Amino acid sequence: MNHNQQSNDGKHDDDSALSDFLASLMDYTPTIPDELVEHYLAKSGFQCPDVRLIRLVAVATQKFVADVASDSLQHCKARQAAVVKDKRDKQQKDKRLILTMDDLSKSLREYGVNVKQQEYFADSPSTGMDPASRDE
Amino acid sequence: MKDGGLENKKELENSKKQSKSSKFRSKNDDFSLAIAKVAVAQVCESVGFQSFQDSALETLSDVTARYIYTLGKSATLSANLTGRLESNVFDVIQGLEELESGLGFADASDVNRCLANSGVIRDIVHFVGDAADVPFAYDVPRFPVVKEREGMGSFWEKGEEPHGEHLPSWLPAFPDPESCATQSTVGNGTMSGSNGVKTGLVGVERKIERPLLNCQKQFARNGNLRDSSCGAGDSAKAREASNSNPYLAAPLQFREKEVDVSPVVLPTKLSNEVVLRDSVPENHSGEDQVSVLETFAPAIEAMKSGLCEYDGSRQKNVLYNQRPTVHFKIGIGKKSLNTAPYFVSKNKDIHKIAYWFENSNEKDDRKRRAEIFSEESMECSHEPERMK
Repeated sequence: MNHNQQSNDGKHDDDSALSDFLASLMDYTPTIPDELVEHYLAKSGFQCPDVRLIRLVAVATQKFVADVASDSLQHCKARQAAVVKDKRDKQQKDKRLILTMDDLSKSLREYGVNVKQQEYFADSPSTGMDPASRDE
Repeated sequence: MKDGGLENKKELENSKKQSKSSKFRSKNDDFSLAIAKVAVAQVCESVGFQSFQDSALETLSDVTARYIYTLGKSATLSANLTGRLESNVFDVIQGLEELESGLGFADASDVNRCLANSGVIRDIVHFVGDAADVPFAYDVPRFPVVKEREGMGSFWEKGEEPHGEHLPSWLPAFPDPESCATQSTVGNGTMSGSNGVKTGLVGVERKIERPLLNCQKQFARNGNLRDSSCGAGDSAKAREASNSNPYLAAPLQFREKEVDVSPVVLPTKLSNEVVLRDSVPENHSGEDQVSVLETFAPAIEAMKSGLCEYDGSRQKNVLYNQRPTVHFKIGIGKKSLNTAPYFVSKNKDIHKIAYWFENSNEKDDRKRRAEIFSEESMECSHEPERMK
């Protein structure tokens, strides 16, 4: 009985934590606008009058994008570090961090999204060169 | 190489078909995708990126949109499985767990866990705590915008009783006959002055076709025939048509009333025809005219004059006296199609049809109906010619 009571209290704590979190969501404005989230949720058939759930989905999506972006940032930095390591004499290559298809496909693969594209199109002189060196 | 090209083409078509069948991306999605691009760019900027490749940004925003869509779908599915239409927070958490299951989250292996205590939520809480509050750059309106549609003006909406049991109440109501009558009297005034004008032979043929088409159009219209005084007075009407806006002219009225047979002054040509008929037709043009009248006979007899009483009675006078056989010798069939615009602009009779196009604000349905009928009558006019 004690155990049950404790578990019940635990559940209440979880519920309250969740409801507190949902309430705090209303203060936090996610970068992804509510209207966009509502549009795609409506497209999928999601019906809910509660705005907090929309915010929850928006925040979850923002977290997802941030995770993917940070993974590709790590890939990009690793590549830059590797390049610098090889040629220490030269100045450090441009410090601009560019989100490239290469890094993105690598990070998305871990999330189960296979993004494949052509290695190169042999139609211009700059084909096959390091994308960081190309002017974006 | 040729074979390779063909294979690629087939693959391309297949991929296109697949993308169409998934129906996630419709052609009207550009706005939402653009907003998604901006939002994703802002998130990436907060992470630390300084610039993006175009294709990479597009891909990531597309993936983000699909993420939201998939999350909504799984949440809806969980809700429907438990017999609910509206999803609640636990459905959303379950959807999140499904999406995160690939990478794993804390307590994923715990069978007896409570959803409220899910590791996914904890991760999100951490994220919210750490992340900077970067609001969206633009003010986004609610979309898609729903356009208010005018009612069809059905019987039910107007509160009218349909005329018969066979008419369901959700059909659009019939037009008001009184409003038609008032407009017809206006037209009467304008048309009364069109008399005694000779018609050239060259123009006759065309005008012959037009009234016939006119007649058949009106046959096509269910019992709501308008008067078309065929033949005589066409040119005069045409002149009047050019003066006034044909689309504003009054419609003709279909009324079941006896027409007084009064002494009629026909245009000289027509009257000659009539005279000649009894005797031997002397000139070729006369024959043409006569045959035209003969062709119109059944049509004209069926029509009653409301508006152009003057003209109509004239013709009835002419036609009721004799009942000629029907000669299907109407001009050149193909011409009828070509003369359609000329037809509309010149022939005064087309005012009746023009009225159908009037008042575009309210009567779009009527317009469409008229156009459909005109097309059908064009087809009908071909059939008698084929019988030649």
